[in-house]
Amino acid sequence: MQSFSGRLFVITLGALLLPSHAQAHAALITLGPVEAIEIHAGYDTGEAMRGAQIVVYAPDNPAQPWLTGTADDSGRFVFVPDGTPGRWAVQAREAGHGAMSYFIVEGGETTALLPAPAQYDPLQRLVMLASIVWGAIGTALYFRRPRQRERA
Amino acid sequence: MFGRILKAAFFSTALASTAAAGELSIFANGEELATEGFLAPELTRDGWQLNFSNVFVTLSGITAIQAEPPYDAEAGGEPATSVSAGLDPAAPLTIDLTETDEDGRVLLGSIAASAGHHNAISWSVVPATEGEWAGQSMVFVGTATRDGQSVDFTLTSPDRHAYVCGEYVGDERKGFLVEGGEADLEITFHLDHIFGRADVDLDDPMNIDAIGFDPFAAGGTHAIDLSGLHIGHVGEGHCAVVFG
Repeated sequence: MQSFSGRLFVITLGALLLPSHAQAHAALITLGPVEAIEIHAGYDTGEAMRGAQIVVYAPDNPAQPWLTGTADDSGRFVFVPDGTPGRWAVQAREAGHGAMSYFIVEGGETTALLPAPAQYDPLQRLVMLASIVWGAIGTALYFRRPRQRERA
Repeated sequence: MFGRILKAAFFSTALASTAAAGELSIFANGEELATEGFLAPELTRDGWQLNFSNVFVTLSGITAIQAEPPYDAEAGGEPATSVSAGLDPAAPLTIDLTETDEDGRVLLGSIAASAGHHNAISWSVVPATEGEWAGQSMVFVGTATRDGQSVDFTLTSPDRHAYVCGEYVGDERKGFLVEGGEADLEITFHLDHIFGRADVDLDDPMNIDAIGFDPFAAGGTHAIDLSGLHIGHVGEGHCAVVFG
């Protein structure tokens, strides 16, 4: 919604001030930090879960996927939850092994619920784990301030 | 047959600590490695094709749990149980993982349980107390084939393993039970942790730990030591396991 409002505003201005280019195809990008969830999926041998299947479940419909995706070659996957309060779940699977992790969104705060990295048993090989790092990581996703780079 | 006799005895007793709201069914699954066997390319790590006529497992203490916070199987220990419901713990249940429903699963029982998310489960593999394989907790009966040589085998294990698992990990989340509704849970046995897999790197930790089939290549009846092997899972999710 934020991006839609910003884009609409810019197009309206263009129509008023630049009549000769009223059909504006201006590409506009604005940047701003958002709080994102970063997942590192791997085995407790230290091996990354390359290309792991990631499924995110939101608290208001926990039996249905809210988001699906694929981790990169380092087992990393980043997403931005929509702020729905409650317990979120994240599942990572690869080659017949998988795990669930959880975090809580409440009052604008995000808290990792499971697992705690210090609790891993390094002797348990083949056991997969997924860890979650959260915080403002400077992911630039949303339109905010227009800047014209090109006019058609 | 041994498995069927005991199966009739365990249809469930509810132990829910709060009023029952719905029906929770618990299944066991040995996956296609149990029902179809170890077929190429999924041969054992040492190249044997295995076809099972029976894979007997005796279970007890099967308990569905609503854990708060969610159980961390990597950390181990006991789950923080808010609500639990179990099959009759006094009656060990022997099942045959090759005798499944159309979904490849064996129904262990259906129990009355409280509404909520049953996000953990515990059970034990224990020696059978009666029947043809009394004293054994897992028994594998079948035929192994490699390089044109086939041998009939029976592998027996009296090992006890106790599992505590977190949430099921698979194509869908399981265990959400609403008032008047139905839900299911599944415990999953990964037989490749015993015999290994030829289509997986030999230096994969699973193959390093697996026994393979070469020790039993002569055929006949052998004891098999399953201690230390992580056979029990919840779908693809791992469990905390204690042997002995």
